[in-house]
Amino acid sequence: MTRLKFLCDTDRCIECNACATSCKNEHDVPWGMVRRRVVTINDGEPGEKSIAISCMHCTDAPCVAVCPVSTLYQTDIGVVLHDKDTCIGCGYCFYACPFGAPQFPRATQFGTRGIMDKCTYCAGGPEENGSEAEYSKYGANRIAEGKLPICAEVCSTRALLAGDGDVVAEIYRERVVARGFGSGAWGWKTAYYPEQS
Amino acid sequence: MTDHAGPQKHDAVSHHGRDFKAYRIGAAIVALILALALAWQVFEIFDGDARTVPEVRWGVTTYNGEDIGIQDTASSLLTGTILTDRTTFQAERYQTGPSPEQNRPDYGVVPDTMMTNSPMDDGEKFTESWAIFDDDTGAMLREGQRIIGISSLPYPNAELFERPFARDWRLGIADIATHLGTLAILGMGFILALFLAVRGRVPIAKGRSPRTVKRFTLFERITHWMTSVSFIGLALTGIVLAVGKTLFLPFGEDVLGAVGWISTWGHMMFFPPFALGVVAMAVMWAPGNLPSKIDLNWIRKGGGMLSDEGPHPPAKKFNAGQKAIFWSAVLGGGLMVVTGVTLMFPYVWADLGTLSWAMLIHAIVGLLLISVFIGHVYIGTVGMEGAFWAMWSGRVDRNWAEQHHSIWLERIETHERDGT
Repeated sequence: MTRLKFLCDTDRCIECNACATSCKNEHDVPWGMVRRRVVTINDGEPGEKSIAISCMHCTDAPCVAVCPVSTLYQTDIGVVLHDKDTCIGCGYCFYACPFGAPQFPRATQFGTRGIMDKCTYCAGGPEENGSEAEYSKYGANRIAEGKLPICAEVCSTRALLAGDGDVVAEIYRERVVARGFGSGAWGWKTAYYPEQS
Repeated sequence: MTDHAGPQKHDAVSHHGRDFKAYRIGAAIVALILALALAWQVFEIFDGDARTVPEVRWGVTTYNGEDIGIQDTASSLLTGTILTDRTTFQAERYQTGPSPEQNRPDYGVVPDTMMTNSPMDDGEKFTESWAIFDDDTGAMLREGQRIIGISSLPYPNAELFERPFARDWRLGIADIATHLGTLAILGMGFILALFLAVRGRVPIAKGRSPRTVKRFTLFERITHWMTSVSFIGLALTGIVLAVGKTLFLPFGEDVLGAVGWISTWGHMMFFPPFALGVVAMAVMWAPGNLPSKIDLNWIRKGGGMLSDEGPHPPAKKFNAGQKAIFWSAVLGGGLMVVTGVTLMFPYVWADLGTLSWAMLIHAIVGLLLISVFIGHVYIGTVGMEGAFWAMWSGRVDRNWAEQHHSIWLERIETHERDGT
């Protein structure tokens, strides 16, 4: 059973931001929002690490659970998608997200947030796959074409891996064995194995 | 003058709560309905649907020129095979190229047409199997912790990597706040309906008097009704935002979206008059609502509400129950205004952590306030004979005043005698 995940190898990420840029380009992400971003920890100090983060498409996704209008839903390959036609911009998903993934355009008055936008794992939304309506709201649908997210597929150092969780984990483990070190799968416990202690 | 206080009704003998037959029958019916709603809510807590389960499946409908049914297992399996094969291309370059030593790999299997989505109802097994991991994966896991670095991207919160607290927040809002709030609201309604059915209304023991006494000025009443109407608006729209999915999803996602959108904006529109009213009431009524010793006596005697017999505990203009309502409105309402305004302007003075707490407090206090004010509405209308006119016409029956606010009435009548 295929379960899609993201894994960012912090020992390889060089903070080039190609993932963030190619994502914005691939999906025509509106101004003021970014579906994927790169965070640098301990900048300029020993142990500095960079890591690309977006929606992790969690197991038992908290955003889906708190959405008061059933905008968010999960699919059988793990991808969490959203329906922009029903979103009311309440921001619950944002408070419930462990990775700060939901984005709001803040285009309306009184500081209300506008309709949520987030990483779709390049899998579009509830509109017909590959349709114009889907592209204008959610961006390209690479999954429906049998491809994987653009951010991972453009990653020049192959730090960011996307696809079936078992395969991705295997690639990462082989890599760690070959080079002799690795700091683990950042964010995986919170995202994919919330009930395990 | 009020229409109920006419002398023709003076001798009516309806001095016992149990004599309000129609009220009691109606209340019994309402109590029954609310008992069912309560049972349903308790079932909702324990029905185990708190976990997120997949609702939509992917499928390949044409492959190698052959059509595959959208619900066929094969369509699902092919999706998995295609995506898993594609994943292997991200292995090391010496394995998958492009590299001078390696042939360019082929691109595995690809679907002939776009994959399709269709609804599914057996998602539970996915969530269960996803949460399990083997030893190899276990060795890769890092303990979840709050991690904030820096980011070169100029967006609010871009520097955040991980905050496991969000999962607790989800429990707080989805499992605790909404269920607790619904229980409090339905439970309050049920208890009051049952109380009315068994005990009846709190009557004016001496019957109606031909005289009325001025209790609230026009300004006081306008403030009260402005606040209460906007509170009801905020409560109804707030309930949609809290449990709208349960209430409106049966009517379709579009209805839910529309109701949700109206509620989002409505919630904001009702806020200014509410905030204004809370401030005005605080200034206007705070002096009369300071706690005093006679409140203890009033509370000890249950406000005299439980029985038709015996003298009511004395009270000034506001008794202990009314004081509790007043401070709920002022302190609770004030808290709602502060947290609500904070939520309206994300990041202006509050960061994500503060916003999360503001949201939780807003939800929990809001739902509890609704419950408290159901009690207030009850005692001000059907629960007590003669109480409603205080806020409607501003004048109350003299016997009502004597029964419920003896010290206040005495002072007013003394003033009137001295004045004339």
